[in-house]
Amino acid sequence: MLSEQMQREALSKCIVWFYDGNVRTFYSLDKTHKRAKPNQALGIRRLEKMLMETFKGQWETAIIYENKANGNELARFKRGARV
Amino acid sequence: MEKTANQRLYFDFGEVFQNTKSFIDRHNSRQTQLPQKLNANHRATAELIIRLYLKQLNKAAQLDQLDPENLPGFNTYNESLAKCKGCTKRTIINHRERLVNAGFIRKEQHCGQGGVEIWINPEVMGTVKLSTSYGDNVIKIGQLASLFLDKAKNFHPLVHEQHEQKNNNSKVDNVDNVIKGVPYGHESGKATGTSHEQDKNTEENANPASKRQEKAPEKLCEAEKQEQKPGAGRIFLLSLIRQFWAYARKVLYPDLVLSEPEEREILNLIWESVYGKLHWQASEKDWLNYQETAYNRVNMVARWLARSPGHWIPKPHIYFHPNNERNGFKKTWQWYVRQETLKIGIRNQLLLQQVKAEWQQHKQDKGRFQQKTRLQLFRIQQKRLANYRDESLMRAYQQCLQRCLHLEKLKCKQANHA
Repeated sequence: MLSEQMQREALSKCIVWFYDGNVRTFYSLDKTHKRAKPNQALGIRRLEKMLMETFKGQWETAIIYENKANGNELARFKRGARV
Repeated sequence: MEKTANQRLYFDFGEVFQNTKSFIDRHNSRQTQLPQKLNANHRATAELIIRLYLKQLNKAAQLDQLDPENLPGFNTYNESLAKCKGCTKRTIINHRERLVNAGFIRKEQHCGQGGVEIWINPEVMGTVKLSTSYGDNVIKIGQLASLFLDKAKNFHPLVHEQHEQKNNNSKVDNVDNVIKGVPYGHESGKATGTSHEQDKNTEENANPASKRQEKAPEKLCEAEKQEQKPGAGRIFLLSLIRQFWAYARKVLYPDLVLSEPEEREILNLIWESVYGKLHWQASEKDWLNYQETAYNRVNMVARWLARSPGHWIPKPHIYFHPNNERNGFKKTWQWYVRQETLKIGIRNQLLLQQVKAEWQQHKQDKGRFQQKTRLQLFRIQQKRLANYRDESLMRAYQQCLQRCLHLEKLKCKQANHA
């Protein structure tokens, strides 16, 4: 679980709808180290890895958005595949 | 100093060392106070700098035409020099200061994390000799393409040389103002570059102004400035990068779905690894030729993938990463060079075979050149082969001709003896 500050600083977030009915929001970790420049692509890749490996087979839909008000949709996943 | 196409600058170590020694001796003889003189330690630092600088210059001269009156500076780091010399960083700074005061170092430019760039007094560099070494096949295949070899632009580090490592931050021969980064939204007419370089380790911009640039890219007009320079326009070059990625994606990653930030990252990686950060001031035609070679390389990879199900390539952000020496796209350059060298070799063999056959037919008063004299035939063949602009082919032609004539003489002698 990321701290509130890190959640605020994250460039993207992922909303996951699990098969068991839960809905959770995950925030991206966009830096390779504390002082690195944030890399949004890296954050997205990490979220994708989380979906495909950590929560494999547990979710039905997942959507990655920009972490800001009215942020655009960046990626969409359905039943284990990116669409 | 004159330079011809095949003549390249060469700095003689011995001569420059002699110049260094005499320069320091002269300086010392002029100084009366001890603190202003250069002692043996300063001399050693000066020689270390000279040795590394000459090594880099000679390597650069083999690959590119250097202007002897406007030589690139020596890019180095205090830490690395200190490690080489076995002293502290502070000592190197002090020595450098002393050398600047003595006039040995003409100019210094501090580049922050990029180290320090030093220009040595031209008096010390002395005269330059010309060597007539030919370039390798890589240069024969394409002048522009040869730039993107590791050795071509980002020269091996001067100060890390002894560790056999690469210094990607080396700026020798890259002294021109270059614009870095692929602006994502240039299609909408807002072509903006990020005039900073990403740090290799942190992927962070060394330049603190980079943050401002990212926040307000429309304020920059670097691309417009670039367009005023001679060579291909920046928008044209960026479109080449986009076309390359579109093609590579279609051929190598047909099922890949990417978001905008991911695609932007890949474009930046391609800009860096495949197009050498667009450092080369070449014409549009040269760039288009290079684009063709890049497409060929992609096709080669596609063929290689199709050849066996065990063959695979990593994801694009890894495949096009400039630091990926193991299984990156960079490696395909070697494939391409090998393929082109082979092609040239086969072409030359076929041409020589044709030449030989023509001579034999001519001797027997057959073929389409039967009415021509030997000299006329020679001129025709020479003209035909000269069109290929290949010196090795011309040399092989001369050898072939000599062999033919020699055999003919031997046959005549044998006939006379008989």
